[in-house]
Amino acid sequence: MSLTSHGGRIGALTVIGTAIVLPLVIFVLGPNMPPGDWTNAGKSQVFDNTVLLAVMTPFTVFILVYIGYAVTMFRAKPDEELRDGPPIRGHFVSQVVWLVTTTAAVLFLAIFGSAELFASNGSGGGSGPNPIATPGGNVLPVQVIGQQWEFTYRYPTYGGVETAELMLPVNTEIEFHVTSLDAIHSFWAYQLGVKADANPGVDNIAFVKPTKVGAFQVRCAELCGIWHGYMFDTGHVVQSSQFASWIKQQRQAFSAVQRYLPKYATTYSPDPVARAG
Amino acid sequence: MTELAQHSTDYSVVEAEPPEIMGRNLRVGAHLWASATVFFFFAFLFAYFYLRSVNQQGLWHPHGVKAPVALGTLIAASVAASALLTLFAARRLRAGDQGAWRAAGLGAFALGLLAVCLQVVQWWTIGFGPTDGGYASVFWGWTALFLLFLVCTLYWLETLLATSFRYRGQGASGHAPGEASGDPDRTGDDIARPISLVGPGVDAFAFYWSVLAGIGVVTWFILYIL
Amino acid sequence: MKLRRLIGFNLLTAVILGVVGFYVGWWLGHLFDAASIDYFEDTGQNDIALFIAYFTGVVGFLVGLGFANYPVQRMLGKPSSLREKETRGAGRYFGLCTDHKVVGIQYLIGIGAFIFIGGLNAMLIRFELLTPTQHGWNANNYLTLVGLHGTMMMGMMTSGIIGPFANYLLPVMIGARRMAFPRIEALTFWLLMAAGVVLMTTIAFGGFPTGWTGYAPLNDQANMGMDAYIAFFALVGLSMSLLGLNMIATVITMRAPGLSWGRLPIFVWGVVSTSVLMLLAAPVLISVLLMVMLDRTAQTGFFNQAAGGSPYLYENLFWVFGHPEVYVLALPGMGILLEILPVFSRKPLWGYKLAVTGMLGIALLSFLVWQHHLFVSGINADLRPFYMLSTELISLPTGFIFVAALGTLWAGRIRLTVPMLFSLAWLFNFLVGGLSGVFLSDVPSDVTTHGSFFSMAHFHYTIMGGLLFAFFAGIYFWVPKMTGFQLNERWGKVHFWIMFVSFNSTFGPLLVIGFLGMPRRAVTYAGYLQGANTWVSVSAFVLGASMLIFLANFVYSLVFARVPAGSNPWASKSIEWQLPSPIPVHNFDRIPTFGDDPYPYGTDAGVAHRPAVAPARPTA
Repeated sequence: MSLTSHGGRIGALTVIGTAIVLPLVIFVLGPNMPPGDWTNAGKSQVFDNTVLLAVMTPFTVFILVYIGYAVTMFRAKPDEELRDGPPIRGHFVSQVVWLVTTTAAVLFLAIFGSAELFASNGSGGGSGPNPIATPGGNVLPVQVIGQQWEFTYRYPTYGGVETAELMLPVNTEIEFHVTSLDAIHSFWAYQLGVKADANPGVDNIAFVKPTKVGAFQVRCAELCGIWHGYMFDTGHVVQSSQFASWIKQQRQAFSAVQRYLPKYATTYSPDPVARAG
Repeated sequence: MTELAQHSTDYSVVEAEPPEIMGRNLRVGAHLWASATVFFFFAFLFAYFYLRSVNQQGLWHPHGVKAPVALGTLIAASVAASALLTLFAARRLRAGDQGAWRAAGLGAFALGLLAVCLQVVQWWTIGFGPTDGGYASVFWGWTALFLLFLVCTLYWLETLLATSFRYRGQGASGHAPGEASGDPDRTGDDIARPISLVGPGVDAFAFYWSVLAGIGVVTWFILYIL
Repeated sequence: MKLRRLIGFNLLTAVILGVVGFYVGWWLGHLFDAASIDYFEDTGQNDIALFIAYFTGVVGFLVGLGFANYPVQRMLGKPSSLREKETRGAGRYFGLCTDHKVVGIQYLIGIGAFIFIGGLNAMLIRFELLTPTQHGWNANNYLTLVGLHGTMMMGMMTSGIIGPFANYLLPVMIGARRMAFPRIEALTFWLLMAAGVVLMTTIAFGGFPTGWTGYAPLNDQANMGMDAYIAFFALVGLSMSLLGLNMIATVITMRAPGLSWGRLPIFVWGVVSTSVLMLLAAPVLISVLLMVMLDRTAQTGFFNQAAGGSPYLYENLFWVFGHPEVYVLALPGMGILLEILPVFSRKPLWGYKLAVTGMLGIALLSFLVWQHHLFVSGINADLRPFYMLSTELISLPTGFIFVAALGTLWAGRIRLTVPMLFSLAWLFNFLVGGLSGVFLSDVPSDVTTHGSFFSMAHFHYTIMGGLLFAFFAGIYFWVPKMTGFQLNERWGKVHFWIMFVSFNSTFGPLLVIGFLGMPRRAVTYAGYLQGANTWVSVSAFVLGASMLIFLANFVYSLVFARVPAGSNPWASKSIEWQLPSPIPVHNFDRIPTFGDDPYPYGTDAGVAHRPAVAPARPTA
């Protein structure tokens, strides 16, 4: 069989393979992609992941088909006499085609990723103290304080009350301010699609707008010491009215200890060590 | 198929290697080690500018943390002078003037030692310690590691001078056969005319020492002037 | 010379002097009057003493091996020499030997032993993760196991291919008799062994809680076991730097006549590109670790935000080293892959220039991507698109390697020997690893996958699925050359298939588990992931068992069966296969002259290298 027909067969198998896998990726896997579509950040990530997987599919199918085909069709028979293959050292057109297609795919993904990142105000990721893309309009600031080995939450627009439980009103733009009191932690609210490292002395801001009511898992995603594995929590997205009554109840419950808390700030530090000078 | 090697060939085939090969090795090795050294100190450069820009808690460079510029300049100047003297010594050696190389080499060694001593004096008399803020941390870390590199590199100079002095007047073959080999069972020389390697050694050293002196000057500029 | 005979510097004297040195350093460190130093009073621990002890211990160890002899000789003015103990008996494997082939075999066994320990740690970790709740180890021990596994593997596998295979083969492949700096070569090996022992002592001091990345401020809080990690990586960094320097210097200065850069075997290019990274990235690691040491002992404020420092500084500096480091792990595997495929396809390497460009491109780009480890850490958000682009771009030169491999297979006459099987598996595994990397490089996607088991599965696919499979390919391919004995092909295939299937069964599900929300390094996990984790753990145990099959084959074939391999069991046209097995101590009777084609398959040129004339010296 001539080499051209081998090439034709590989090409055909690739096209067929892609035609089967790609719709599966986009229509079956896509809607079920993690982390789920509870929030705008989650939706953005799901869309992003689907596009990534879709772009990767033709290349993956091609490489796997090729290897499988080559190992089957170009295999030397076990007891045949040792013979060399043809001394083909390269093929300009193939190399150019490979280079052009992979470069196009990579550039597309980089541009697409950046666009998606800005369009979704960071896609739920921690963007530092000065994020570039911010949502307009009303935001609810919620501070997440990580410490060894617990997350606590402060609501500056509700008198700076600090709670051990995280509740968020649905359909509200949330502005997380994540910081730490000691080691580096990471606030990972899985179903919200939010992850922001908690660094001591740093205010790490992440935006998310939950669109569904329910419970979500919070886990620490940065090794922070011996009980890192126990640093998890369950948060809740609830209706606004429910949130309002909950926060009122929290303020009442914690009013006695409120005065012992430091004033709300974006970061907290022990008194500066007076060593200098 | 032509046999490229036999187990039965005598081991002496590896002996008396032409010294030019090691000469090349030394030159290339010095360049490579210099690049590694630059990257090593790059980390401190990065730390300096990063901590300065972050200025966490305003503790980058608190009041009262003042590095004595005079002593720092003297240290940098000694290292630079030593490097220049070494370059001169290398040039004299290439021209065949063994005496001038030895004298200048000794001078360069003395200047290097001077820099080391001055650094220790500076630490002893400085008004701040490593706990006094970001700048202080970078200062102490950087100067301590630079001192380590100075001492180890001066060792290299010492070996070159020692070989030169030990075999002065005896020419390139002045050593006893097998004296140089690290394997006590062998009597042949690994490298033919090994004394002649002092020349390439000095060239390689001069290059590396210049790079280290350059790092010293950059250190001086960043720690004392900026 | 007489003194050396009398004492006989070897591993025994090294261990004795190492232990003595450790205790001398420990005693020296405790001379600091504890009452006069606040730090000791506050924390009750003496890191200064431990660091001094590690230093003096390692120095004692090296002096005991005989590494101080030459430097002292040189201080007295004795002339330069190259060699120690190259021709005498089996004992030379247990000490300072300057024969690069001996160093290569030392590396193979030494690294193999420490990887075995690291792998055992992994089994213990997966034992804990059989269930969502803690049932196996206490919290501190679990974190130490996690840290030890990662740290030991990273430290050892960086030299995993360069150490054994480049040391043994590089001078032969370029037609040289020695490495550029033979003693430094031996030093890199023994530094690594000393480092491994130092790391294991962490157990005696309470272990360390930071995992292999050693982030501040946790590394400052940690107890004395942390010092072992710092000392280990500093020693590994030094070993890596010197190893890289030696490889590059050798290829630059020691090539035989006629061997221009464009005619080098692709494996040599893999070694060179890796070595550039080792030479330049490892010093940054040593620097940052010294800063950590200063923070822990002299109480400097590099990473302490309450004292003018910043934890971000650590993250940045660590990953400036860390990212090139992982390409140090990937590149040698690519070199082995592209070296083996021509032999078992009976075709020249396809796209040689493209492959070289790919390797050098990866090396260069690897310095420009490090902040992708910090995407959600709170860094300046302006920087993220740049690092997303640079990280995505690295898949381009990686793609060159793939296309060169695929092209080599085209129209070949493929023999599925064990080395070939491992090479093909490399292609599959690295494909999965590379694609998962594309997800991680994309910031929105990274928000969920960072710090999860997806990230862990990604690097296990590339490092274990890539590097370790290439490592085994190299072993099955080159051990017959290094020892003169065959490894049993049938048991090799059993090892391969069990390893390949169980490897994918272990890490494939972990990609999904990570995406489903399981963070790394946590001793507990959500209940709904139990079934998947149990499956993964059992697969991991099977994977571990496959290593035992390999070990049994290795020991049986080389110690008991001892079937001679002959000089060219694979019918390769590379130069190392035109020499006897094992390669004679002097490598070549006469330095060969190289032709213009490193892979003359399919041509009438036959073997490309022939000596200019018959050997000049008569046989002894």
